[in-house]
Amino acid sequence: MESQIELEIEEIKGYSTARLVKFVGDLDATNVEFVLEKVVNLQNEGFVNIVADFKKLRYVNSTGLGVLLHFNKAAKEKSGSFKIANVNENVYEIIEIIGATSLLEIYDDLTEAIDSLAV
Amino acid sequence: MATNVQFALSDSSGCEGVTVVTISGELTSASIDEITAFFSSIVEDHPPYIIAEMSNVSSFSSSALGSFMGSRQRFVEREGDLVFAGLTLDLKSKLSLLGAHKIFQVFPDVRSALVAYTYEKKGHSQMVTLSFPSQLRYVPSIRQMISRIALQKGYSSRDAFRIETIVDEVCNNAVEHGAQSSEHNIDLSVGIDSKKIEIKVINLSNPEKIEALKELASTVSSEAVSDMANKRGRGLALIKMLSNDLTIDISNGGTSVHVVRRKGD
Repeated sequence: MESQIELEIEEIKGYSTARLVKFVGDLDATNVEFVLEKVVNLQNEGFVNIVADFKKLRYVNSTGLGVLLHFNKAAKEKSGSFKIANVNENVYEIIEIIGATSLLEIYDDLTEAIDSLAV
Repeated sequence: MATNVQFALSDSSGCEGVTVVTISGELTSASIDEITAFFSSIVEDHPPYIIAEMSNVSSFSSSALGSFMGSRQRFVEREGDLVFAGLTLDLKSKLSLLGAHKIFQVFPDVRSALVAYTYEKKGHSQMVTLSFPSQLRYVPSIRQMISRIALQKGYSSRDAFRIETIVDEVCNNAVEHGAQSSEHNIDLSVGIDSKKIEIKVINLSNPEKIEALKELASTVSSEAVSDMANKRGRGLALIKMLSNDLTIDISNGGTSVHVVRRKGD
């Protein structure tokens, strides 16, 4: 059975080019295509600033991490940003091991991530 | 004063190092002396891992519990233990209220206590083997099952998460780089004991991908893992960092990946 992941997409008040994307479940090789399509579509529609809330993201593997790096790169190419907030310690460890903490914008909480859009 | 509590030495099913004691009756303040006297009588000349079978115990006072604690200490000093098996739900709940569950291990029955003894004290490994088709969709439930087994075997949630990641990455690699054949499944075996978990995945090699896989394996073993963020081979890099030992054997016939992860490292 494939892993379950849901993406809940919300507006961010005051930021017309931004969207909040809440990740719920496990991000792995069985569902990266689904996540890739959803977020890339948002970026292509002009929402170049994505704030990803990982509060309910339980698990990520190397394939999932690859997709996150792709979102980050695509955002930069569009002069936007890909920000991550509320990362649990297990997921953070995976990001850290691969050396991606310096490549991704990671914030302790959602408020901090959203406030950084103004900078 | 004589009480109705009774003690009997039972068969330990040939498990060396274990003494099974069947206890019945009411364990009250009046039975403190009997409890102490019985365990004193066996402490010198019986194996020091004591399983107290309590399914016929109808009551258990806090003072009687104190007597068990004192006796337990004597077995612990002899590198043994005193554990409970077969307690009724009421008594189990009472022991929890008294905080005794933090001191005494409690098992549903003698068999479970014996299995725990052979696993924890004797270091016996338990093995899970399974075979699955070379398709990604099978991997999530497999990795979650192995993670749950690790939790049940006393590994921390952090350890279990790392084990889940290792199983996931090893299996994904086998699917991605192995032969896509309906006739040849991927074989996973997991050996787990109280100190370590060993994971082995064997799959049929895909002749077209062997060289690429060899290159990946050599990249991961030669480069700093933290440099892997923008490169292929992140999965192997993760496995390497999360494990204590990683062995990859790639041949035309098949690929074998063997990972050892020690508990708590």
